[in-house]
Amino acid sequence: MKRTLPLIIVFSCGFFMIIAFFVPLRGFQDVSQTFQNWYTGVIAFFVFIGIFNLVKVNLDKIQRRLRDWQYSIILLAFLSMMMAAGFIGGREGGIFLYMFENLQIPLGATMFSLLAFFVGSAAFRAFRARTPEATLLLVAAVLVMIGRVPVGYWIWHGFPSLVEWIMNVPNTAAKRGILFGADLGLISMALRVLLGIERSYMGGGKE
Amino acid sequence: MNILDRIAELDRRIIFLLIGLAVTIPLLMPIGLPVDITKPVKDVYDKVESLPKGSIVVVSVDYDPGSEAELYPATEAFLEHCFRKDLRVYMIGLWPAGPALGNLALDSIAPHYNKVYGIDYVNVGYKPGGMIMLLSLGRNVGDIVRADYAGTPIDSLPLGRAVKSASDMDLVMTLSAGDPGVLHWIIYFKARYGTPIATATTAIMAPQQYPYLSSGQLVGLLGGLKGAAEYETLVRRKARAVAGMDSQSIVHVLIVIFIIIGNIILVYQRRVR
Repeated sequence: MKRTLPLIIVFSCGFFMIIAFFVPLRGFQDVSQTFQNWYTGVIAFFVFIGIFNLVKVNLDKIQRRLRDWQYSIILLAFLSMMMAAGFIGGREGGIFLYMFENLQIPLGATMFSLLAFFVGSAAFRAFRARTPEATLLLVAAVLVMIGRVPVGYWIWHGFPSLVEWIMNVPNTAAKRGILFGADLGLISMALRVLLGIERSYMGGGKE
Repeated sequence: MNILDRIAELDRRIIFLLIGLAVTIPLLMPIGLPVDITKPVKDVYDKVESLPKGSIVVVSVDYDPGSEAELYPATEAFLEHCFRKDLRVYMIGLWPAGPALGNLALDSIAPHYNKVYGIDYVNVGYKPGGMIMLLSLGRNVGDIVRADYAGTPIDSLPLGRAVKSASDMDLVMTLSAGDPGVLHWIIYFKARYGTPIATATTAIMAPQQYPYLSSGQLVGLLGGLKGAAEYETLVRRKARAVAGMDSQSIVHVLIVIFIIIGNIILVYQRRVR
């Protein structure tokens, strides 16, 4: 029963939602909408699970003095500060907005901007034309990198059009092939789950 | 040891220093390189231009501070265009930090056009649930949105009352940095309800959108900071994105030079062996 009941729920709910997507009858749509609303409510609780997990993992790290445990203290301190600021002063003013604008935004942007330095280093050490395929990829990458920025237009006014052609023809063709392959795999995987062939999502345990 | 051997052993801190200089010098001393306009960006602009006064545009802020540098300039430029055209803006976010960033943009642009909160624009905040939430939103907005970002009941705001389902939305603009984001709007909202979708994405995501552009599932695309710079040029609002174009150009050229040098070293090392 421990395994059969989840299989029945998955099979009936899954196929009902597929049918409801294509059948515009009001009854079907109302039930489908109720399921969707339940899902949205459940998803909202994932935020709490995420915070709970984050706190648990980092407290454990501090207690056991694992590598870089000091960073966990900073993380938990700022998590508590942001939560306290939000609960006390609200999200639209006071210290919460101040910290969001002056800490979270610049820190997030800083983390992302570090990529420029690593891409520069990788360009020098790793982007090597070792095979004909790698050479083709490298030539396309160089053309796109130059053609996508104003200096490309400044060098030659036809550069942006060439880049648009690369994006619209070879890139789109390859991307469509990948998408079709991935989507067919997704459909077959979904069918395996709905029909109870794929059961790994239920984890271990006995009947 | 000849010069190529020395360059091959180059300390990466020198590369970091060169990148740093390539970013900062053009910011301090702008070159003013011309910004060309590409078709995907022009298509977004034309779509907004074609909307009649009072149309409702959903602006979905689906990014967080990590992508702020690339997507915030696009947010501001797009909002400026909407307010200049007297369109109404219904802001939502699929990412938790998105609506807060959207609020900053609204606060900086709306006052210039004397727009009133609740009538001309509204921010309904973060809505979790990705694809399923979008399906529910399109069918009955009231199931998903009961209050705005500040907790004000949505029915007490005129614009809140005006948006009941996807049929009330004339255009969706998703400023997207990943998942959930533009793909969910295309697959679950556009496919189901037919609402036109435009997008501004990070540069790394832009190539993935071209199949949807050519199929007509996307109205247009603002790819990365360059897309934002093009939009700023179109709406005659040269701000952060246009200012960043000189830096981005020089850094791209520098990276291409690194690639060329790296490959010259590769050829040289093969010959030596």
